[in-house]
Amino acid sequence: MQMSRWRFALAPLSLVGAAWLAASMPVAEGEKVEFKFRESAINAAGVQGMADLRGKPILIDFWGKN
Amino acid sequence: MPASIKVQEQFGDDVQVIFVECQNTEKNTYEAFAWKMKWMGNNAIWTNERVIPTVGRGLPEVALIGVDGTILLQGYPGDLGKELEETIAAEVKKSKDAPAGAPATLKKAWASFAKGDLGGALAECDKVGGDDGAKARAEMVARTQARLARFERMLAAGELAEADELLGALQKSCKGVAELAPKVADAATKLAAPELAAEREAAKAWASFAAKVAKDKPFDGGNVKKAESIASKHKGTKNGARAAHFVELSKINLNR
Repeated sequence: MQMSRWRFALAPLSLVGAAWLAASMPVAEGEKVEFKFRESAINAAGVQGMADLRGKPILIDFWGKN
Repeated sequence: MPASIKVQEQFGDDVQVIFVECQNTEKNTYEAFAWKMKWMGNNAIWTNERVIPTVGRGLPEVALIGVDGTILLQGYPGDLGKELEETIAAEVKKSKDAPAGAPATLKKAWASFAKGDLGGALAECDKVGGDDGAKARAEMVARTQARLARFERMLAAGELAEADELLGALQKSCKGVAELAPKVADAATKLAAPELAAEREAAKAWASFAAKVAKDKPFDGGNVKKAESIASKHKGTKNGARAAHFVELSKINLNR
């Protein structure tokens, strides 16, 4: 009983872990990608993710304010 | 960073640039910073969500996703140099052609689609017929439906100038297309609704202000006063709220 309660409690954690791992693993050139914004982005003009940009090249610029 | 701004402004709607802030800077702070640096006033999208993983060799880093959804290049922009510029230009050209692997018989259909003539494109698909014709037809309809969904979201957000522009393109594209023309007509009715009159006025004032100040001392005292006046005159609208948000951004200390 105690054991199954623990298993139940840990299940979401393992899902979060898997999602974190997938998000942090580098993607190789030539690999297909897909993304969706979790929160609305600034100046998105209705774009929620890659599905709204099908057939268009996308340039992602990773930057830091500091 | 300025190089990617240049790409967005050079290619306009043919390319989507997405800026991802990676130093955990607060959303309002990096938005204020982007205004201050005169990086706004174009179609670029700003977020702090790492939409794809970085290769992790420090900032800045860029990734180019091709028209087929695959990563074509990723790394330090200085290392990619001219290759990046050339690949972007080649992808823009590809975006106007049939997708890779599409049969030559569908070339004309994709050319019509790229020109914004969905009716003509679908007629060509039907002429080709078979699995290839059906597959191309489904893809074109899906892309157009995605634009319609985007229109609805713009409308909900009060982005009426952008919605108006997109609707114009959809009206031209979907003319005579039985499965989509009624949806476009419905969209036009929604955009012309009398209840949106106040929002429309506010959207006009905000769009004209934002375009004017984006490249010219955005947070200058006079501009902030003008934004305050738009916020007050159009209080209760989404665009009035945008002007009020701009005023708040102008107060952020960016030297911290």
